Amino acid sequence: MNAILEALDRYAHWAARWPVLAALAPFVPVVALWWGVAAAGVFPRAFFPAPPDVLQSFLTLTYKGILPAYLEDSIGRLAAGVSVGILLGIPLGILVGLSGVARKALWPVLLFFQAIGDIAWLPLLLIWFGFGLGTMTFVIVYTVIFPVVINTALGVRSIPPELVRAAQSLGAPRWRILTDVILPGALPNIMTGLRNGLGYGWRALIAAEIIVGTSGIGFLMFDARRAGSAVEIVLGMIVLGLLWYIVDAWILAPIERATGQRWGLVTRA
Amino acid sequence: MKSLTLRNLHKTYFDPAVGTRVTAIQDVSLEIGPGEFVAVVGPAGCGKSTILNMVAGFLPATRGDIIVGDRPVKGPGRDRGVVFQNFALLPWKTVIDNVGFGLKMRGIAKPERDRIAMEFLELAGLSHAAERYPNELSGGMQQRAGVVRALANEPDVLLMDEPFASVDAQTRMTLQEELMRIWGERRHTVLFITHDVGEAVFLADRVVVLSKGHVLREIPITIPRPRG
Amino acid sequence: MSHSAAPIEMGQGPGAARHLRQAATFVAPLVVLFLCWPLLVSAFGVDARVFPGVKAVFAAAVESVSDGSLLAHVAASLGRVAAGTLLAVVVAVPLGVAMGVNAGVSAFLTPLFRFFSVLAGIAWIPIATLWFGYGFGAITFVIFNAVFFIVAYNTLLGVTAIPMRLRHAAASLGASRLAMVTEVLLPGALPNIVTGIRTGLGFAWRGLIAAEMIATNVGLGYMLFVARDFYRTEVIVLGMIVIGILWLLIDRLILAPLERATIERWGVVQRA
Repeated sequence: MNAILEALDRYAHWAARWPVLAALAPFVPVVALWWGVAAAGVFPRAFFPAPPDVLQSFLTLTYKGILPAYLEDSIGRLAAGVSVGILLGIPLGILVGLSGVARKALWPVLLFFQAIGDIAWLPLLLIWFGFGLGTMTFVIVYTVIFPVVINTALGVRSIPPELVRAAQSLGAPRWRILTDVILPGALPNIMTGLRNGLGYGWRALIAAEIIVGTSGIGFLMFDARRAGSAVEIVLGMIVLGLLWYIVDAWILAPIERATGQRWGLVTRA
Repeated sequence: MKSLTLRNLHKTYFDPAVGTRVTAIQDVSLEIGPGEFVAVVGPAGCGKSTILNMVAGFLPATRGDIIVGDRPVKGPGRDRGVVFQNFALLPWKTVIDNVGFGLKMRGIAKPERDRIAMEFLELAGLSHAAERYPNELSGGMQQRAGVVRALANEPDVLLMDEPFASVDAQTRMTLQEELMRIWGERRHTVLFITHDVGEAVFLADRVVVLSKGHVLREIPITIPRPRG
Repeated sequence: MSHSAAPIEMGQGPGAARHLRQAATFVAPLVVLFLCWPLLVSAFGVDARVFPGVKAVFAAAVESVSDGSLLAHVAASLGRVAAGTLLAVVVAVPLGVAMGVNAGVSAFLTPLFRFFSVLAGIAWIPIATLWFGYGFGAITFVIFNAVFFIVAYNTLLGVTAIPMRLRHAAASLGASRLAMVTEVLLPGALPNIVTGIRTGLGFAWRGLIAAEMIATNVGLGYMLFVARDFYRTEVIVLGMIVIGILWLLIDRLILAPLERATIERWGVVQRA
């Protein structure tokens, strides 16, 4: 018992020293376990592929150019949807944050439409736009915009009024207050909103690709599902997980932390 | 009340920033008699809190013995009550439930432990705040609760880790005087950690000066009480 | 922490009157929206196959309520969410606490749980339907997944975020291992646990709708998707409204107040 505790203690120290390695190391035994279970033949291979099968399919699909093309499609759709969502969401969020009338009028509407959820729109969107980019973009914009608007509004409202007064008394015109006080002040919250929005957005993309798709990682997985082949499904899940892990852990979280901590702001949501 | 004995205490630990083992405490021996009030003073990083954490059982000693009465210390226990610098009240419990926590751990039924906790709250002038949550209280009130929480559990030794460092100067003086009043009545064995020499001299029977992990000197304080 | 507490100015009146006024200010914009809908539809002469009028949706509501189909769909969806969520929380919370107790265990498991919580929800639908076939098993599995990893991860975060001095304080007052869990670790992690449940349920709810579109023959998602095949937009819109109201009720009446109560009462500041 003590030996185990000591080993765990050592591991904790080691993990603190080598955070990148420590983020990867736990996957080694998990993959080994996965491999062992697959090799033992507990489940049929078609249902439960082994790591080499997935690697093989990764290489084949990459070589054929299918995986890169699908990845490009998915990322492109996500980028397009997220950009539009941000461009619409931040100004709307600032409006809702600054104006009491806009807030009273729009807040319940925002909450209600957020509650409907992107995916419930899919059937209607299919009737409107068919199986195409329009449907995908709409779904992602829809998903991203609510967290961005709501968090931007919260961020704007969390700016202490003294800051605005200080800027005013220093002679800043209204638009300067907007660009130099309100926008940076709300930035940590905006980043939180963006991070949440992306979290929902890429799930919406997967759902859209599964249900209406003709290409993309979600389509790859669902196509494999139709063919009853688990290999591509597992590959798709790993690609998705890695992709999102990279985006979230190495890009979004550091930006959010940097803005929030640097300025000593605690972003409450 | 029981005595507290520290015998040839050593503490070394691995410092990842330096990459080697660092000595925090070097051969510290200390004898605190029953009912004696000893203050350990020293600058930040001299190891005074390390000593307290080892006595409390939060940190294992690398070498040496810590003995309360005649029993060696193995881990935290209710024979040593601890008062923390940042109060360490459980935020999800009301003040009275915080003070009664140790009694609850001993299996004392709710009405009885509320009665005892209330007695101690009255001792600290906190009975009006019994049903409040810690974050609704000022720092001074929180630390009053922290002190009586330790006392209510009837420890043999009271360990205080810079207990008044987180409150304002005015409140600190009040708390020091209150501590003297309570200690005067109950005569606990006290190990008191502080960086404030004035505080140490005001409170203690004996002041131990710690520097870089070892005892520099021990000074008995013979000024008669009450001190001003 | 995704959705946020509504910062709506509160009236100053006492008790019930204030709540009533608050509710009224909340509902008013939605009522206006509802009134504008038929005007817009008739003003632009929108085809019923593109967007339905109010009457058609109302008729669809009456029909599906009277023949019991709406109730069946709602019951199926809520039942799946309840089963999956309950199972996930019951397993995830003890596991998260156990993981959080030891620094080594938590350092080892954190990346794993983070990875799987990132994957949670919809991405599991294909493999779930492959493993469990189309039906209750696959959908419950998707919901379980969405909630389980996020709640376990948040519980772990919550436990590791509890200041060491609180654990020390409890230990020095004589707390046993069990008491440490019930008196310190669980309540300390509770705000995170609730936040985790809220986020996880958000993903689970979406995952549910998506899974029901693909993998079953009853439930709100199925109701929407079948209606699409017949261009019955009034049924689709009815389903969307029901989905919106249900989630609003779950989130605003159960989850948000729970989150606020734990966080504000104890003054535990929650970092998003």
